[in-house]
Amino acid sequence: MPDWLAYVNNHLGRLPLSQAESLQVSEELAAHLEDAYLSLRAQDVSESDAARLVCEQIPSWQQLHRDILAAKSEAFMQNRVTQLWIPGLVTLFSAYALLALMQFAGLRALTSHPGEPRGIVLYLPWMLTLPLIGAIGAYLSRRAQATGWRVYFATSLPALALGVFFLLVFPWSFVVDPQVPLRIKGIGLAAMMLNWVILPGLALSLGAALQSLLKIREVRT
Amino acid sequence: MVSTELKRGTAELAILSVLERQPLHGYEISRHIEHDSGGTLRFTLAALYPLLYRMENRGWVRGDWETSDTGRRRRCYKLLPRGRKMLAPLRAQWADLFRAMRRVARVNHA
Repeated sequence: MPDWLAYVNNHLGRLPLSQAESLQVSEELAAHLEDAYLSLRAQDVSESDAARLVCEQIPSWQQLHRDILAAKSEAFMQNRVTQLWIPGLVTLFSAYALLALMQFAGLRALTSHPGEPRGIVLYLPWMLTLPLIGAIGAYLSRRAQATGWRVYFATSLPALALGVFFLLVFPWSFVVDPQVPLRIKGIGLAAMMLNWVILPGLALSLGAALQSLLKIREVRT
Repeated sequence: MVSTELKRGTAELAILSVLERQPLHGYEISRHIEHDSGGTLRFTLAALYPLLYRMENRGWVRGDWETSDTGRRRRCYKLLPRGRKMLAPLRAQWADLFRAMRRVARVNHA
C-alpha cells in the first residue's frame, strides 16, 4: 500500500500553522486517502487503479492548501478578536476611564522632580487598581482559550498602546522643539516610558499572573 | 451555474444531517452522503475537509482523534449543540428553495 502520509506531505506542502496542527491535517487527509484506497481494493480494483482513483480526489493540491488555510484562518481571526482585542480594549478603556475619573475627583500625582523631564509621576491609587483590571483582562482572554503571551498582551494593552504612541510621537518633538537638547528629550522619553508604560504594564501583568495562580489553584481544588 | 454559497449550504446541511445520526470520521461522512443521496452527492477529500474545518471553527462539529482496534488513528466528528441548532433553519431554507424551484421550473418529484 502506498505511504499516504508521505504522499500528502509531499503534495500539500508546509501549512503555516502550528506544527501539531499541520501534522494533524496531514494525518487526517492521509487517513482519508488510505480508507478510500482500501475501499477500492476491497472492490477488487487493482492496486494501480485504486491509487490513481484515490489521487484523482484532489485535482489541485495548491487549491486544497489554500482552502484549508482559509478555513483555518477564519478561526484564527475569530480567536484574535476574542482572545486579544476584546480583553485588550476592556483593559484599555477601564484603565483610562478610571484614571480620568480619579483625576476628575481631584487625584494628584506623586512627582519626584516636579517640572523636570526626569520626574517620576505616580498616580498611586490608580496603580493599585491596575492589577485588578489586568486580572479582569486576563480572565476574559483565558475564557476565550488564550494562553501564554496572548493573555499578557491583552492584559498590557493600555501600557503597550501608550508605549507605541510615545515612540511614534517622539520624532515629532524634533520638529516642534528643535532647541531642546537630545539628552533632555531622551530623558523625558525614558521617564514617560517608565511612568506610563513600564510601571503600569508591570501592574497589569501582575494582575494577569495572580489571575493565573488563582485559576491553577481552582483547578487543583 | 450554482453559486459557491449554494454549494456550501448544500454541503453543510448534508454533513450536519449525517452527523445528527452518529459521529463519523471524514471518509465515513463522504460515504454516508453518497449512499444516502443514491450517488447524486459526492464529496471528494478536497471538498470535504476545508468545510469540516470551517464547521469545526464555528462550533458546529468537533473532531476527536480515536484509535481503532486495528491501531489506525482517525478523527471522528460529532455534532455539537450549536450545529444541531443550525439544522432546523437550514432545513427550512432548503425546503423553501425546493418549493420555490418547483413552482418556477414546474419540477415534480419522480
